[in-house]
Amino acid sequence: MTATSKTAPPETGFTQNGDTRGSARVTRETVSTVSVAILCVMLLLSARLINPALGSWSQVETVLVLGFFLVVLSFGQGVVILTGGLDLSLPATITMGGILATSWVGAGNPGEWYLLPGVLVACGLVGLATSAGVIWLRVPPFIMSMAMSIIVASGLLGYTRGTPRGAAPDAAVVLMKSHVFGLPTPVVALVIFAIAGWLFQSRTVYGRYLYAVGTNVDAARNAGVPVTLIRILPYVISAVCAGFVGIALVGYSNGATLRMGDDYLLPSIAAVVIGGSSILGGRGTFLGTVGGALLLTILGTIISALGLEFGLRTIIEGSIILFALLVLREELFQKLRSFGR
Amino acid sequence: MFDNQPEHSIGGTGADRAALSAAGLHKAYGATVALEHADISLVAGKVHALLGENGAGKSTLVRILTGAVAPDAGGMMLNGKPYAPHSLLDARTRKVATAFQELSLIPNLSVAQNLLLPNLPRAFASMVSTRRTLEAGAEILARHGLDRIDPAAEVGRLALADRQRIEITRAIDNAGQVLILDEPTASLAETDWLFDQIRKATQRGVAVLYISHRLAEVREICTEATVLRNGTTIASVDLGDASDGDIFEMMVGRKFAHQRKPRVMRSASGEAARLAVMDLCGHDLQDMSFELRPGEILGVAALEGQGQQELFRMLVGIERPHSGRIEVDGAPVKFSGPRDALKIGSGIAYLPEERKTEGIFSGLSAATNVVLPVMGQAARGILISHGREISVAQAAADRVEMNPRYLSFPIGDLSGGNQQKALIARTLATGAQTLLLFDPSRGVDVGTKQSIYAAIRAFADDGGAVLFYSSELPEIVQLADRCLALYGGRITRRFKGAEITEQSLVAAMLGHVTPEITEGVLA
Repeated sequence: MTATSKTAPPETGFTQNGDTRGSARVTRETVSTVSVAILCVMLLLSARLINPALGSWSQVETVLVLGFFLVVLSFGQGVVILTGGLDLSLPATITMGGILATSWVGAGNPGEWYLLPGVLVACGLVGLATSAGVIWLRVPPFIMSMAMSIIVASGLLGYTRGTPRGAAPDAAVVLMKSHVFGLPTPVVALVIFAIAGWLFQSRTVYGRYLYAVGTNVDAARNAGVPVTLIRILPYVISAVCAGFVGIALVGYSNGATLRMGDDYLLPSIAAVVIGGSSILGGRGTFLGTVGGALLLTILGTIISALGLEFGLRTIIEGSIILFALLVLREELFQKLRSFGR
Repeated sequence: MFDNQPEHSIGGTGADRAALSAAGLHKAYGATVALEHADISLVAGKVHALLGENGAGKSTLVRILTGAVAPDAGGMMLNGKPYAPHSLLDARTRKVATAFQELSLIPNLSVAQNLLLPNLPRAFASMVSTRRTLEAGAEILARHGLDRIDPAAEVGRLALADRQRIEITRAIDNAGQVLILDEPTASLAETDWLFDQIRKATQRGVAVLYISHRLAEVREICTEATVLRNGTTIASVDLGDASDGDIFEMMVGRKFAHQRKPRVMRSASGEAARLAVMDLCGHDLQDMSFELRPGEILGVAALEGQGQQELFRMLVGIERPHSGRIEVDGAPVKFSGPRDALKIGSGIAYLPEERKTEGIFSGLSAATNVVLPVMGQAARGILISHGREISVAQAAADRVEMNPRYLSFPIGDLSGGNQQKALIARTLATGAQTLLLFDPSRGVDVGTKQSIYAAIRAFADDGGAVLFYSSELPEIVQLADRCLALYGGRITRRFKGAEITEQSLVAAMLGHVTPEITEGVLA
């Protein structure tokens, strides 16, 4: 073997060496958004094989109505995760929104036009408290939001003395039960929310700053990004979204319970992760998250249509999060890029 | 001038035998070809330089030689035997050790533990012996002239320069055959210690690969050099036969304009200072006073850790001064942070020291990275327009001669030089009239350096004011209209125009306050 240095002959040495290297443009966000969307459609179609009623249009409508809750929740959760945090207080703020809507506002209350926004403000204050703990007291996000969750849930228990009373406010019932353009209102609301959320996250200045802060706080500060302001808002947005879902859930089932938010924590995180966002922050799109939320809702519908235990559903959701975290690692995208050459 | 190694006979000995040779190395990451066709040959007891612009493939070649990545094609020989390391440790067991540019030390462990890992001395029941670890660590430090460093100190608490020395010491200690030094002087202000260590290693018969952008340094310690361009070995040359111009031409494929462009300062004493600092104290700084006028480029020369970081960070409000005044456009100010600094008066934009950890957002596009401080300019109404984002970014990118093709790429995929151009473009895009640039050409190649210098000069010619620190004296000599030399948190001397020479700066940076000494050096 002659492994000595082979140098280029001088005449061709350094004159004809143009940069022929390039880079393919397949981002992980695009890949995961498209693949989640394809998965949703495939699941819906294959559900038909199990039970012909499952793939019908009315079933799709049901999925979209149920999906509306999760899409709104995972928007808030996604914004928090984008900045490198995690909001574990969602169940408590959902319940807070629901219980305040029934017991504080209630059915037939003429003041609901200002009381319902008041409920959202109250939920937003919970988020503000979480932000304050995370930013100024430097408590790790999962501990701070967990602590807020326990405080709020206990407060609600005391406030209701264990038995929530009251019925759904009229506006909440109208939102969940009426039709617009022949479609259930929540379906239309979902589409509008998805588009608005996507524009907010990817096309507004604030959204762009969220990515910057989530990628590197120090670099964001050096670049002149108003870091503190950017970091306060996500928990507030998340809490307001959760409060809104609480109100909507009350309109859907016409009543609040103390545990109405419990089943939404894991799916809200799972939807974000399945949608291709990095659990460490700085990466992901809201459209991916919407796909993830719908995928989970479809799965839930199929599981309950098959008459499987509820416990099985949480097992499947947990496995999906793990699976998504494994599949969405960077190596896979390196491979996909090399196919695209 | 092109040094083709003679074929070595099997089992032959002697100085001309290649200790480590690699031929036809090729490596692609997905669709990005990092290394097209690289050849290199290191001789025992000699120091070989690896030269090339940023993005030429130097880092990839180093990673292959150290076993961090495997090449897609090509082969390597170590002392006549095939060499295909599958990990850093594997390479180390073959006595090939590397000091990385991005230091590979564990910050929360002690100096001694870092030096000895993964083979810490054992005591009873194969528990790690703290005492013997410290003893062995102290012994290694002493052997490499670093007795002043405490082996029990936590690495993360050391100054950057000392961390780099530890990284180098560990590599030298493990290098029985081949020592690879990737930008070993990036954080070292002086090279005496390093060169002593390298000479000791070559006396033992170690082959050294030395990667640096600083040609003067390379000429001092290396005898031969391999030049990479666009992932391909262009030539291996004897440094004695190649002029700086030859090497520059091989690296970038064009001739180098040597002349320092004389600059006529537009500034007049009648104009108010953009930035005035009076008796600034705090952290390591003592009584620092100076003014920065419109149209002026003011350099800061200092060895590492003389207070320059604190000065820059105070001037943008990341750190608070204990006392003293900062005035912008004649009015006293207090910054709460870089965002505030951008908004006050005619604006101050800041380029931080560490590109990767303090500068770029690797997942975002280069265009977003450039326009981030003024994101609002890229928006129509409340929504950001992609077209406008690119055009705002391009206006700034053009000023640093950055290829607009790169603007839509994630910045993490770009070479270090292009990342640095994007960050300079960011400070220009803010519209601020004062730039604080901390080491504006840190770790970038000669071609990029010239583009950055041209951008800084053009900015000052248009009436902007620039305060910059550089770890490279030629940069200060080429660029600065005036210069402050810092030592121990104080300004030891001020220089103007033609007084700024490397010799006089060195004397002042070493703490010689009296002008006679510097004039002695000059004479």
